[in-house]
Amino acid sequence: MTSEAKTHAIDISAMQRDNRILRLEDETCTLQVKDLRLSYGEKEALHGIDMTIPKNRVTAFIGPSGCGKSTLLRCFNRMNDLVDSCNITGQILMDDQNIYDRSVDVAELRRRVGMVFQKPNPFPKSIYENVAYGLRIQGIKKKRVIDDTVEWALRSAALWDEVKDRLHESALGMSGGQQQRLVIARTIAVKPEVLLLDEPASALDPISTLKIEELIHELKKDFTIVIVTHNMQQAARVSDYTAFMYMGDLIEFGVTDTLFTNPSKKQTEDYITGRYG
Amino acid sequence: MNFEDNYSTHISQQFNEELEQIRTQLLTMGGIVERQVHDAVEALLNGDADLAEKSRRTDQQTNEMELMIDEQCTTIIARRQPAASDLRLITAISKATSDLERIGDEASRICRHAIDLAEDGNSQRGYQEVRHIGTLVRDMVKDVLTAFARSDTELAYRVAKQDKAVDQEYRTAMRSLITYMMEDPRAISSSLNVIWVLRSLERIGDHACNMAEHLVYLVSGTDVRHASLKTMKAAVQQGDDSPAE
Repeated sequence: MTSEAKTHAIDISAMQRDNRILRLEDETCTLQVKDLRLSYGEKEALHGIDMTIPKNRVTAFIGPSGCGKSTLLRCFNRMNDLVDSCNITGQILMDDQNIYDRSVDVAELRRRVGMVFQKPNPFPKSIYENVAYGLRIQGIKKKRVIDDTVEWALRSAALWDEVKDRLHESALGMSGGQQQRLVIARTIAVKPEVLLLDEPASALDPISTLKIEELIHELKKDFTIVIVTHNMQQAARVSDYTAFMYMGDLIEFGVTDTLFTNPSKKQTEDYITGRYG
Repeated sequence: MNFEDNYSTHISQQFNEELEQIRTQLLTMGGIVERQVHDAVEALLNGDADLAEKSRRTDQQTNEMELMIDEQCTTIIARRQPAASDLRLITAISKATSDLERIGDEASRICRHAIDLAEDGNSQRGYQEVRHIGTLVRDMVKDVLTAFARSDTELAYRVAKQDKAVDQEYRTAMRSLITYMMEDPRAISSSLNVIWVLRSLERIGDHACNMAEHLVYLVSGTDVRHASLKTMKAAVQQGDDSPAE
């Protein structure tokens, strides 16, 4: 083969495809938020949010404390229903159905949209029982099915090799990072479609944080992930799309690479570059 | 967005100082390189071998500054994880530093030929072209550094435009020198030296043009490398018309 032919054999367009820039308009939508307003009593915390959460992608919400990012996240599985003074208008569509419709079964919605919190909250039970819990609640009794699902969930949460020999020991004896991965395993065991992560690594050491981030990257193949984080570098590392919120408004929503290199709004620029006063 | 004082508004004063410091160092390096180019061309035109030798020695300083600025850029990336315009600043400075260092190398090359030509001491054929292209290129280096200092993308665009004029002048000069060598083969040796000098000047113009492109990327966020002047103009106007709200 001549050197010229060898040069031509390099497929640059394939490399460009591998590095392809994401575009929101090419994505399949999992959740669609339409003019969502939320008030706690008299105080409006979300002022009409419109956005789409793309399927099998990681979407990060960033913004200063009190900007409404956790509030918005909690709207996706109706966790705010538990707050007495909370009033919500607008829509969140999942499979073309408004999740705030009266006919929606909230328990089923929370199975489809699982949530993991900042602080790991394993049940005071064995590792095995923690993961099997959701399945038992669903009425699954076959031990074989439960065994297989527990193993799958623990493997998916990158925890299996660390715990396979002590499945029946208390989950409370695990490290913080392991507990958080256990909680993720417990959440995915019931096969949700969406995973909501509310600062999942903020209480963890750097190595455990990296394991969680690696896990998020693996899990997006099977789930749509929405993550709230205060750590902007984490948002930049793990997410495909980023939403910047400020004082209850969605200021900018776009591809993470663009938002962190060339944001279109000055407020976003000021926040991500540490100019916020 | 006003980039002139954009680097002094971070919450971290120390970060402000670090960014300001590498900006200042880039401009200082630019000053040294600008002087190198000036001296190299003057040394050649005036047959001043001493000036050429002195200018060549300056290249060591340029190399050291390149290493120092690059190290600072790496440290800032590692410690601060810059984003958006800060990240573009670090990228642009790191690349502009490489271009400046290469301009310094080309100036050194001109000095080497200036010494050879001064020793030969004969025909000054082609010097008029060197003077003309040398002036254009020196202006480009000066303007691109001014553009960096003021974040002036309009001026950067004019530098890129000037590069096209330099390329045209270079081709014309080449044709004329080739004709001259065909007419008088005894002049081939000295003419070749002049050709190498013109080649170096043309390369300096290319590096100044690269720096202009880095500046447009820094200010507008649009990568205009390998793009047409029209695209660059559009990016410059976009940066002027619609700053981040």
